[in-house]
Amino acid sequence: MKREQPEVVRAIPPIWNWRITTICAALLLVVGLAAISFGPITIGFGQIVRTLLGISGGLKGQDRTVLLDLRLPRALLAALVGAALATSGAVYQSVFRNPLADPYLLGAASGAGLGATIAITNAHGNVYSLLPIFSFIGGTLAVLTSFFISGKFFAEPQSLLLSGIAVGSFATAIQTYLQQRHSSSLRPVYSWILGELTVANWQIVTWSSIYILISLGILISVSKQLDGLMLSDEESFSLGINPNRLRMIAVAAATLATATAVSASGLIGFVGIVVPHLVRGITHRVTNRNLLTIALAGAAFLVLADLGARTLLSPAELPIGVITAFVGAPFFLVVLRRRRTVSS
Amino acid sequence: MIKIRNLELALNGKKILRDIDLEIPDGKWSCLVGPNGAGKTTLLKVLLGSAPYSGSVRSNDVEVFRNHKRNVAFVPQQPQIPQGISVSEYVMLGRSKKDGWGNESEKSRDFVASILEQTHLYGMQRQLVSHLSGGEMQRTLIARALAQEPELILLDEPTSALDLHHQIEVLNNLQFLQERGVTIISTMHDITLAAMYADRIIVMQEGRVLADGASSEIIHSPELRTAFDNRINVYTLDSGRPVVIARKDEKDEK
Repeated sequence: MKREQPEVVRAIPPIWNWRITTICAALLLVVGLAAISFGPITIGFGQIVRTLLGISGGLKGQDRTVLLDLRLPRALLAALVGAALATSGAVYQSVFRNPLADPYLLGAASGAGLGATIAITNAHGNVYSLLPIFSFIGGTLAVLTSFFISGKFFAEPQSLLLSGIAVGSFATAIQTYLQQRHSSSLRPVYSWILGELTVANWQIVTWSSIYILISLGILISVSKQLDGLMLSDEESFSLGINPNRLRMIAVAAATLATATAVSASGLIGFVGIVVPHLVRGITHRVTNRNLLTIALAGAAFLVLADLGARTLLSPAELPIGVITAFVGAPFFLVVLRRRRTVSS
Repeated sequence: MIKIRNLELALNGKKILRDIDLEIPDGKWSCLVGPNGAGKTTLLKVLLGSAPYSGSVRSNDVEVFRNHKRNVAFVPQQPQIPQGISVSEYVMLGRSKKDGWGNESEKSRDFVASILEQTHLYGMQRQLVSHLSGGEMQRTLIARALAQEPELILLDEPTSALDLHHQIEVLNNLQFLQERGVTIISTMHDITLAAMYADRIIVMQEGRVLADGASSEIIHSPELRTAFDNRINVYTLDSGRPVVIARKDEKDEK
């Protein structure tokens, strides 16, 4: 009997799903333009383009300052932080093999918050250039402590998450204590914790872009190999991967990105869960091949959220963390519920 | 040919493997048998090159530790079961070393299709691996290993999750591979099946190799009984095929 040749196995979309990546990039551009255009003073798109390109007929005086020194750095910072949080979230989810893992659940963000609080409460003058270093040290220490307490480095992701939550709460407790002790700096620390981008200026944008772009570069360059972590360690070794080294690199880079994001803008929750799941839902892929798309989508998401934070209660301003939590918390529950139905 | 000389391996001060001298021929099916804790899985990891050891383990005169140039596939006893990935995508991961991570050639897709057919997984290629039964998962694991087109395939208890029918199916698949020149090293708890399929049996106990040789000889050897504390009986069926049965108590002696 002559058997039919099997049809070719369904293709996995290539690493760069250019169409979706391009759409996300375009979205980021549109949202970015809207973000620097709308506000108490509305600036026309034509004027924005002319000013940015330095063509004659651009903005002058106060409007120019609003655009170049207030709104542009703020939108850029939102984009950087959004990209950092979304990408680290996606990476944490693959490394820990847990779709609900996010930087905050591992204690990285609380640790970074504690580091930054120590910097703010003990330093005088301009501490913003030191903040990322302090938050990075704090974040890394918190993640390492979580690893240490859970005992098994990557063998049991669940116990790691639990110890991450414990370490996170502990760091938050110390942070609160420090705030109460140094009530003079209570206000800047508090507003920073709520997550806001009002402090954005070119200096913050410059240093955070350095750290964030380096970590994103590292993460995107190892993103293809991260798929190998879906297999057991022996299997991924047999395919040419050193699983523990790959995890170390990925977690270190994701922690640097998270810590920088936290130090630049405080705690902005749920970006790391909502965006990766949205992108994966749209592309129907669990793989990390779309990490670049996730970064762009995260950037667009946070720029949009910040636009909402600035304009919804205008002239008052909502903390951006409120907006992301408002969208993210219900989303988190939907993911959790869907997972339960799937596993049952 | 894999040559093992003075292999020792200690973990947290405890010796898992000791004093192993062994030669494993190419193109044959060698099976590691022995009670739990004998060091079988650890020896497989050493052969893969992922576990650090002292002594020498040379495959074609090259030390195996962290040697990524060899093409060795590994089938674990307890798989990682990722969420949200389909059977064909999972098997396709086995091509990653050949195509480069994240790439996927047309040839690989054809190859994976033929492997899915061979392992009777073709009809379920779009199912999520998290929804498979134990037996289907085991076949998927083996299919992923086969996708690698390995020169050597290491299997840790490839049949322990399977019913008899699927055990035979998996073992036949492996035999098919071996007939095409692939070297197979597996651990197996079912010594009867080991004797039926493997060319060679390596008997292990407490990190040592007690005996090593042709299956037909080893199965009747005193070392095999020693490894299991004399708690097994070996019978020979009329067809000449040996059967190994666990002994309940002294009454079973004869």
